[in-house]
Amino acid sequence: MDEAFAVEERNHGDLVHVVVRGELDVATAPTLREHLHATVDGSSGPVVVDLLAVTFIDSTALGVLIGTKELADERGTDLRLVIEEARIIKIFEITGLTDLFSISATVAEASAR
Amino acid sequence: MTGSGDPSGEVRTMSEPVELCIPVQSDLIVLARLTAATVASRAGFDVEEVDDLRLAVDELCVLVADGGTSGRLTLSFITDGDVVEVICALDGPAGVEEEGHPDEHGERELSVRILDALVDEHGDEFDDGQRRGWLRKRSVRHQPS
Repeated sequence: MDEAFAVEERNHGDLVHVVVRGELDVATAPTLREHLHATVDGSSGPVVVDLLAVTFIDSTALGVLIGTKELADERGTDLRLVIEEARIIKIFEITGLTDLFSISATVAEASAR
Repeated sequence: MTGSGDPSGEVRTMSEPVELCIPVQSDLIVLARLTAATVASRAGFDVEEVDDLRLAVDELCVLVADGGTSGRLTLSFITDGDVVEVICALDGPAGVEEEGHPDEHGERELSVRILDALVDEHGDEFDDGQRRGWLRKRSVRHQPS
């Protein structure tokens, strides 16, 4: 059974690690937007959005990530994504978003960038 | 179920359509995805193709509902041999004029790109006061069930 949607934030010094789980769709996108925008607004360092436990993502959730990236750029915040699952990467590739985002396969790699 | 021949001599099997009618509520789109996955799996699609159809149907629902929050979506899933066709019709107002319409970051364009990549054909129309979308996906790794 798919993991339920959840967002959890962990602070490591200036770096904020946001763990997202479950399905990201039209139902969960508003909550995701609220969390990510608040995190970017309150952050003084890089924000690592960990999508390793995400089991589904659609265009509405991609829109949230694009909006968060725009907000991060305005604030001068470095936004990094962590994705390993091939079927999630595939959605970023077919929508041309791999060029927009900094994407790593592990949290350690994203944190070290 | 009914069977019919085709020029190659292969027997094609057309199943009874599966229909799903849900209120336009964001937390119920998951039912369309679950139905898509079940229909694709029963039609012999492999795991990747099932995932593709699940996402494509989600995008079709999002496009047809168009940010609306009222009315009903009726989905018909038709299996014909190695092809699954899905028709999604909105009975109620589309959301283009509603406050907070979620196309701020080009989500509609993203939906179309996803559908272009994942299915063989898709389209949408506004006819007789009703918004309707459809898609067709053929399995290239079809395993007859």
